[in-house]
Amino acid sequence: MKSFNYISVVTLNQALEALQQEKENACLVAGATNVLPFIRYKKINNKTLINIRNLKELRYIQETDEKIFIGSLTTITDLEKSDILKKYAPALVDAARNFADPTTRNSATIGGNIANASPAADTAPPLLALDAVVVSVSKSGERKIPIDEFFTGVNMTALKPEEMIKEIEIPKNPANSHSHFIKLGLRNAMAISIVSAAAVLEIESGKIKKVRIALGSVAPTPVRGRTVEKLLMGQDFSDKVIEKASSRIHEDISPISDIRASREYRQTVASVVVKRALQKIGGIY
Amino acid sequence: MNEINITVTVNGTEINAKVKPELSLLRFLRGQGFYDVKCGCEMGDCGTCTVILNGQAVKSCITLAAQADGGTVWTDKGLGVCDDITKRLQKAFVEHGAIQCGFCTPGMIVAGKAYIDNGGRADREEIKKAISGNLCRCTGYKKIVDAIFDVAEKIRKQE
Ligand SMILES: Cc1cc2nc3c(=O)[nH]c(=O)nc-3n(C[C@H](O)[C@H](O)[C@H](O)COP(=O)(O)OP(=O)(O)OC[C@H]3O[C@@H](n4cnc5c(N)ncnc54)[C@H](O)[C@@H]3O)c2cc1C
Repeated sequence: MKSFNYISVVTLNQALEALQQEKENACLVAGATNVLPFIRYKKINNKTLINIRNLKELRYIQETDEKIFIGSLTTITDLEKSDILKKYAPALVDAARNFADPTTRNSATIGGNIANASPAADTAPPLLALDAVVVSVSKSGERKIPIDEFFTGVNMTALKPEEMIKEIEIPKNPANSHSHFIKLGLRNAMAISIVSAAAVLEIESGKIKKVRIALGSVAPTPVRGRTVEKLLMGQDFSDKVIEKASSRIHEDISPISDIRASREYRQTVASVVVKRALQKIGGIY
Repeated sequence: MNEINITVTVNGTEINAKVKPELSLLRFLRGQGFYDVKCGCEMGDCGTCTVILNGQAVKSCITLAAQADGGTVWTDKGLGVCDDITKRLQKAFVEHGAIQCGFCTPGMIVAGKAYIDNGGRADREEIKKAISGNLCRCTGYKKIVDAIFDVAEKIRKQE
């Protein structure tokens, strides 16, 4: 038997009250694109559904001199259309454009995408590569969680039961820095990724001054490619350097075999996807 | 039973109903007799249940009925009466032979309408992307793309 309670909220304060009251029993529902399939397949039951879809105060993309702020109820369609993100976080726009299909993107939110914490969550690699910080909130106040501490396992996060995601902060990278995201799926639309990679590069007088690499679908959580980052730091940018460093990405990942691809295939293509993301940015300079 | 009262305006008619919290918008609509909203995969993959909720295309099988409380829903059938773009799309689908078994048609037309409403042009690649969340197992898509292309071209020429 399916059995759910329901609370619908329109302000953040009401949402936090409801979370405080329900704690472990609470299941926030934003776009419902993950929650409804989970209900149907009885992955969740006996919960209080807290509808936050109409929480308009958390739907925004704003900027200050140093940072970008994305409210958790911002939809993937909003990300795709944002001029602020096109300028400062193109990798996130790439991810939005390749996310599901246009209709699903109207419902799916960025908060739901990272709270669901799928290893294949498409906004996660760009957010990792862009050094994002998740701002969570509960009745007791706000907490900042660096994105590389946010994902703790498959469908698990550092959020406490009474907490929700308020917004995501992204530091603005210098103007001479660029980012890119590549998703490899079984087809172009409506595909869950086999491997995805986001990269951020800052090149100054031909040298790599800053580099961030992050991958999806190759470990229990989205992961950083720290070995490759270390190999690249301070090097002269060239296709050869990129190719050599990317070939070591297997040291950063632990893919599994599943219905979409084998472990070996993922190991092999991960280096190719990382190489292409970096070379694409290099091509912009 | 934990049931909640909702009020949703569907195709211009206000409906009051008691629903379970976990009921999908799709099952709610079909339960109310809106059979033009088809039930396909019920996982968000096939798109035949696509409707316009508060001005935006959504897949009704992955939306809670309760989330539509206080809102407005338009289905293919209702739009076919009131909305000029939808009327033209419906006609073009027939003229182009874009309908075989017809099961995907309501979702395809709503997706096509959303594409044109959002400024979509007569561009085959863009139209393919716009209906990428809608599956058709008969036509091979070509005639569907042609029908949407035809309407988009005529509308953009008029502007
Ligand atoms: C057809 C289809 C295609 C898809 N394609 C993709 C794809 O290409 N790439 C991809 O990454 N995903 C994809 N998904 C998965 C899903 O659409 C995304 O994960 C989406 O971003 C979830 O957002 P939502 O608002 O719908 O979340 P919901 O389903 O409402 O919620 C998901 C989870 O997050 C929690 N939650 C929601 N908001 C918050 C918040 N503010 N704070 C804390 N917790 C919160 C909920 O309690 C729940 O556990 C697809 C799903 C479908 C059905």
